[in-house]
Amino acid sequence: MITGYSNNSRGIGVRSYQLILPSVVCSTHLAKKVAEQVGGVTFSHQHGCGIIGPDVAGVNDFFVALAGHPNIQSTVVLGLGCETIQGNELTDSITSNYPETEYVVIQESAGMAGALDSSIATARALLDSYTPQRTALEQLTIGVEGFPNPSLLNEFTLLAENSGHKVLASNAQRESARNFAELIRRKCHVILSFPDANQPPTGLPLIPVITVANERSPLHQALASEFDELHSVSAQELLLKVINVANGEKSKSESKKVGDIVVPRMVRSV
Amino acid sequence: MATNTELTGFPRNNGRWGFRNYILLLPLHNALNQLVENVRVNHPANSVLTAVAHDWSGEVDADWDRIRRVFSGFAVNPNVGATIVVGIGTEAENEIVQRARAHRKMPIAYLTLKEAGSFDALQSEVASSISEVFPLVASEKRIPAPWSAMILGLECGGSDAYSGITANPALGVASDRLVELGSTSILAETMEILGAEHLLAARAKTPEVGQAIIDVVARYEQSISYEGIDIRGAQPSRGNIEGGLTTLEEKSLGAAKKAGNAPFTGVLDYAHIPTEPGLYFMDTPGHDIEQLTGFAASDVNITVFTTGRGTPTGSAVIPTIKVATNTEMATALPDLIDLNAGTIADGTETVVEVGARIFNEIIAVANGKLPAAEVGGHREFNLSRLYGSTL
Repeated sequence: MITGYSNNSRGIGVRSYQLILPSVVCSTHLAKKVAEQVGGVTFSHQHGCGIIGPDVAGVNDFFVALAGHPNIQSTVVLGLGCETIQGNELTDSITSNYPETEYVVIQESAGMAGALDSSIATARALLDSYTPQRTALEQLTIGVEGFPNPSLLNEFTLLAENSGHKVLASNAQRESARNFAELIRRKCHVILSFPDANQPPTGLPLIPVITVANERSPLHQALASEFDELHSVSAQELLLKVINVANGEKSKSESKKVGDIVVPRMVRSV
Repeated sequence: MATNTELTGFPRNNGRWGFRNYILLLPLHNALNQLVENVRVNHPANSVLTAVAHDWSGEVDADWDRIRRVFSGFAVNPNVGATIVVGIGTEAENEIVQRARAHRKMPIAYLTLKEAGSFDALQSEVASSISEVFPLVASEKRIPAPWSAMILGLECGGSDAYSGITANPALGVASDRLVELGSTSILAETMEILGAEHLLAARAKTPEVGQAIIDVVARYEQSISYEGIDIRGAQPSRGNIEGGLTTLEEKSLGAAKKAGNAPFTGVLDYAHIPTEPGLYFMDTPGHDIEQLTGFAASDVNITVFTTGRGTPTGSAVIPTIKVATNTEMATALPDLIDLNAGTIADGTETVVEVGARIFNEIIAVANGKLPAAEVGGHREFNLSRLYGSTL
């Protein structure tokens, strides 16, 4: 039995964060200051301008997916004004599905101090208009990333599906942060991460990530205390952990705020 | 002009000079961004600390050469007195640290998560390492510096129709004056000289340098069309168009004016360092932060950034002076802008007069005055990747 949050148009999530979304690298510093002030989540990134070809739609769509994730209750888009990804259009494409979204633009806010003030006021007004409602979450979408033992993964998937949950796997890359992008898009509530032997345990700002250590990795052995579980964990124990975290228990990477969102790109900047 | 000004800085043992004396915290994995930020914010030596965040997870791919060059060059920028590299404990990281140490003898600590055993233990080690090196960095004093100490980066971002007639030519006046005095000045942004390359090539000191300028633009255009995209459809950007620019060629003719009329001494690949004073062209993307990060990895120690639309960004290691191209924006966004060149279009100042103000501002900021981006704590950083483009 999982109790989540009814995050309005974004559905039922296992967290209820406000996302402060910088539409371009130039507004990431402002986004951080705003998120600190209002208790929102944000991330630093390098994108939104000087991008061409498939990256324009790709970055835009990824930002829409982030803003519409079920663990997000509302989004404040922060733009500079002259960037490739125009914040007002990005905001419109988010708002059409997720109305609890606002937009602030630096170049029309009398500078950084003005932009900071109006962003904070906008973010707080959005927060005030919403009281998180605790709601039963029937079907959990569980993302699995990295390199789990195949028999453990099979057993876990079967068990989770028998309990009415959905399991989605992504292991295209050796770096966890790159696999996360796919699982964000697919609206996973919680992610189980089995990092590569040479990669540290890492998480995400908006989705709780449960990390599982590979006992044969010297790096993971050295960092044993930073992982939630070991590869030798049973499928039952793992599902119990997922459910506990879905119900509000903080995973280790979550409590230490380890890890950033990596925006997928295909083509060099111009 | 400015005959009685005195430039001061921190001498470095590789012949470079710093205009700041930062302790740089450099994480080498995105899982360490937050840890480094925690230390930077909470440490008592906060005022001399600088740090970056990025999305690299240690991947060694087609962009590896570019990535290690940027990280190792950034770590030893002349404005940095000591660097603490914070990593996971991998061979790739070790290579970056070795390259940095080979480039400049300075205090470079390398602390790893693997050795520390936990994020908390690593965080304490980073904090202790700062306390250890702080007395040394704090004891270093500014002394009078020669003009050759100055390695000026020329940048523009959010350009408008005024850029090419106000701020850029005025910056060109300041750049010419510095080059004449024996400083180094670097023009960059390959896309933004596309269409003006023949004019720049004609100013090359040797035919080889001239050909290199032509080649770098041709290579760039080929690289983009290799991706199946015509750059001329994506540029000028929508912000540029709203600012009154009509074509990429027009944007380029204006952008190139930042480099004044001095002869070109050489052409540099992205994040490669200039070896003698003079005016250079560096092959960088037009993306403001990829360019600024490349400058930082190339020993650039001060940057002037002209802007028509207004942008707040800066570098973790290079003081960045913002020059507005028009009075309207300079008035509307006062805390982004250090100097207004819009007076040229207003008819109240000449290009030469604004050039003199920019020159004086460069000296003042080199000597310690904080520009808006530094006051605002802007430390944007961007790893420039080619994503497998082979050209």
